[in-house]
Amino acid sequence: MSLTQIRPVAQHQSPPPTPGRAKLWLHRFDNKTIPYVLISPFFILFAVFGIFPIIFNGVVAARNWRLDDPDRTGWAGAGNFTRLLQDEDFWNALGNTFGIFILSSVPQLLMALILASLLNRKLRATTWWRIGVLLPYLTPVVASTLVFSVFFNRDSGMANWFLSLVGFGQETPLDWRAEKWSSWIAIATMVNWKWIGYNALLYLSAMQTIPKDVYEAAAVDGAGPWRQLWQITVPMIQPVVVFTVILSTIGGLQLFNEPMMFDENPQSASGGSDHQFQTIAQLIYKVGWKDLDMGYAAAMSWALFLIILIVAGVNTLLTKRIGGDR
Amino acid sequence: MERLGRRGFLTVAAALAATLVVSGCSGEKLEGDSSNNKGAGAVTLKVNFWGDMGLDQLKAKYEAAHPNVKIVLNSGEYNAQHEDLQKKLIAGSGVPDISAVDEGFIIQFRSQADKFVNYLDKGGAEFESRYLPWKWKQSLSTDGKQIGLGTDVGGLAIAYRTDLFQKAGLPTDREAVSKLWTTWDDFINVGKRYTEKTGKKFVDSGTNMFNPVLAQQPAGFYNEQEQLTMDGGPKVAFDTSIKAIQAGISANLVSFQPGWDQGFKKDQFAVLPCPAWMLGHIQKTAPDQKGKWDIATVPGGGGNWGGSFWTVPAAGKNVDAAVDFVKWLVQPEQQIEVFKTVGNLPSQPALYKDPAVLNFKHEFMNNAPTGQIFASTAENLKPQFLGKKNGPTRVAVENVITRVQQGKLKPEDAWAEAVKEAEKVAKSAQN
Amino acid sequence: MTTFANRAPQDTPGSWKTYLGLTIALLVAAFPVYWMFVIATSTDAAVSQIPPSVIPGGEFLNNAREVFTLQQVYFAASLINSFIVASVTTAATLFFCSLAGFAFAKLRFRGRNALMVVVILTLTVPTQLGVVALYIVMGKLQWNGTLLAVIAPGLVSAFGVFYMRQFIAHAVPDELVESARIDGANTMRVYRSIILPAIRPALAVLGLLTFVMAWNEFQWPLIQLNGTEFPTSMVALSDLASGNYVIYRRVLAGAFLATVPLIVLLLAGGRQLVRGIMEGAVKS
Repeated sequence: MSLTQIRPVAQHQSPPPTPGRAKLWLHRFDNKTIPYVLISPFFILFAVFGIFPIIFNGVVAARNWRLDDPDRTGWAGAGNFTRLLQDEDFWNALGNTFGIFILSSVPQLLMALILASLLNRKLRATTWWRIGVLLPYLTPVVASTLVFSVFFNRDSGMANWFLSLVGFGQETPLDWRAEKWSSWIAIATMVNWKWIGYNALLYLSAMQTIPKDVYEAAAVDGAGPWRQLWQITVPMIQPVVVFTVILSTIGGLQLFNEPMMFDENPQSASGGSDHQFQTIAQLIYKVGWKDLDMGYAAAMSWALFLIILIVAGVNTLLTKRIGGDR
Repeated sequence: MERLGRRGFLTVAAALAATLVVSGCSGEKLEGDSSNNKGAGAVTLKVNFWGDMGLDQLKAKYEAAHPNVKIVLNSGEYNAQHEDLQKKLIAGSGVPDISAVDEGFIIQFRSQADKFVNYLDKGGAEFESRYLPWKWKQSLSTDGKQIGLGTDVGGLAIAYRTDLFQKAGLPTDREAVSKLWTTWDDFINVGKRYTEKTGKKFVDSGTNMFNPVLAQQPAGFYNEQEQLTMDGGPKVAFDTSIKAIQAGISANLVSFQPGWDQGFKKDQFAVLPCPAWMLGHIQKTAPDQKGKWDIATVPGGGGNWGGSFWTVPAAGKNVDAAVDFVKWLVQPEQQIEVFKTVGNLPSQPALYKDPAVLNFKHEFMNNAPTGQIFASTAENLKPQFLGKKNGPTRVAVENVITRVQQGKLKPEDAWAEAVKEAEKVAKSAQN
Repeated sequence: MTTFANRAPQDTPGSWKTYLGLTIALLVAAFPVYWMFVIATSTDAAVSQIPPSVIPGGEFLNNAREVFTLQQVYFAASLINSFIVASVTTAATLFFCSLAGFAFAKLRFRGRNALMVVVILTLTVPTQLGVVALYIVMGKLQWNGTLLAVIAPGLVSAFGVFYMRQFIAHAVPDELVESARIDGANTMRVYRSIILPAIRPALAVLGLLTFVMAWNEFQWPLIQLNGTEFPTSMVALSDLASGNYVIYRRVLAGAFLATVPLIVLLLAGGRQLVRGIMEGAVKS
């Protein structure tokens, strides 16, 4: 937006006189009530469809409810929650979730920024490039997880074939699912593959609205595209960056599909033979639908909710601090 | 996008509203049904299952004989169907009239027996004598309610590669091979011979040995008082699979994963614990191996892997009609029909004398009389009590075996670890 | 040496490094999709082939025919149903979320910040039991088993509101709104004349992402439409995976067919996307 488009501020400070009470009422309505009208569709929908599931979840978390033991009912109070503190599976899953989260979100967003900047040039065949990078996001989960499952196969997967090219794992091919570090990398790769294009598109749409004179005005001699990207472009799209940080935090901590599909026995939801890549969402699924302990699963999902709140809050503050508050 | 004038807004809003109304009306409502009562006594039965249970022809036959009954078949993904049933049971609505439940999930649902029709209340007691005893017991709840009428069983035999056996100097005729391994220790020894001779692995996975052995034991993970009893049957089964892994005869693959599929082609294993329903998969995955496979009996004589039941959720709208249909489905005539069309083995031993089963020869598997072989393994299995936590406990112990296979756990430490994991599962049931 | 900093990147033609980076990105992004197509055009044995087959087979029509004619999968209908669900959801989302985002970004009202936080919070709500609870709610409304039940919860998304708010906050200067106000424009006038033109790129992006999200949704449509004669595409895909073991060539053929409409949409709307985004830029 060019500065020349702003009209000079009018000299008179008060609005022109409003003739008649009807007009006055309309004006007040417009100012005071319309905002609430505009945001109401979301809240109405949420009140109808969102509140009950939350209450349901809350009530269930405070009760004993096991699908395989109909006799065990009644209020558990905080029992389900205190059980969490001593549950080593829970803490293990928490560690896994964080590990995978860091491995996926940080490189993902950085690469998305770089990719967006590449796309933000005068290019030939622009549409094709954009479609191309969005393909992972379009692909149904069932297809992409099969492909990666084969890719990370121990005996004949392509990942191990690549590794063998650089001399790795000649004697015994790497079993990606066997260790924490390898399974985390594999899952993070799947997640990054899916979401980089998506985030790049969000960044790109924001980058394209940066006014050109910002670049002209910020003349820094000898600066290459790298500096330009990090010193001018990224700070200018900070709100969208914050947005993606929050979203990828929420999504990353709730990671479910990829660990489920990476399991060699998907329906066991064990996250590996030693729970090496079991995320919290996966553990909640297992506790609720496999161990049939609904009360405990509900309590665990509240714990996850709390964790997401805290981490997303921290991440937001960090991002705002780094980007300079706006 | 052009500037939307006010007219534009109104058009969009109107279009939206119209579509919402249309989509609301275009639904065939699952409850509050008017469709079920068109005409006197007209009934629609919705059947949930997975794969092909031979229902297409049977449906036509039943509808012809019962003009007031319409049957709607809903085949879905194996796990999704069971989860769907569980969720609808919780919600108390939207249940199908009839739901197939697999052996892997039957314990979960028999613990919720009050949500299903008890066949014993609907004249089902007469069926008990017709079924394999262990099959009848599987769907019987602890307070004596029968929620399932069995349809098929998997049986369990050992499929083996005749060409690979020949290369290793082993006999290839199925009678001779069956004699080679009447016990599991013999089986492991044959495996060692094979591996030493050829340098390749013998069996596809240690866990695929654990389950058959466990099923043959008189007692499983839990006794009838729902207490964990690891030292009996589970220890025998566990030790067998660890022995197999230590003998280096396991290819350490996981069933039905792409790696396992590839294992067929790469000759990574020569034998495979195989139920009746797996034959189709072998055929499709390795079509060029036709005639190179054969079937022998399983060590220990009896075995079963898989099989399903027909259940009728109590919240359904047409419970009596549904029960009638199920009772018809499990009649000998229909069960033989299913065997002929899709190869599912019936769970009623009397049918094993039927010529269709007795004389059946499987072309791909070197014309083996698979009907007879699988039937005899199903017959020879003794009933074993399965506790409520059988499923999760089994998964936990299987994970320990996998860890040994992956080299993350030493065989000496494995048993203690297995007990620890099993106790964790059992304890979580007490909380 | 060119001082890049003086020229906006949108005006800088891509260098060979740019194209190299983009090509690598495209290869990485597209290869799994390509392999999916390979399996979808092959026989059963191809999934387990070693080395993995990279050349498409000739079975696509065969597999596709199976997908479409498999009884009780209703694949063709599922594509149409997905289209209905996704379109309605997208139209509603664009409409309601842009209004709400505008309100949160540019209007002043009591509780604005607190309510915005609530909107974001709804994104973090645990969902494991959500499907069952929502099914119960729909039961009370008697909407179970209809497309309406599938569409309704998604009409206004917190994601959309949040995204619009961020974008409007960033792309529309306060002064522009102020000066319009001073000229006597009411709120809706401001929305129509000032906000809408400025957020074209965001609308294009949000529209696209919402459409894809609605199209690929699985859990909720599954519990609603399982067993009906009008599933959505992902539900139909799940039915294709029916059986004791998954027949991958069928599932992937179905997955490929279910993705094609999205690609077509992207191609058709892509020009619009590019133009919309470019116009948004030119305006400044």
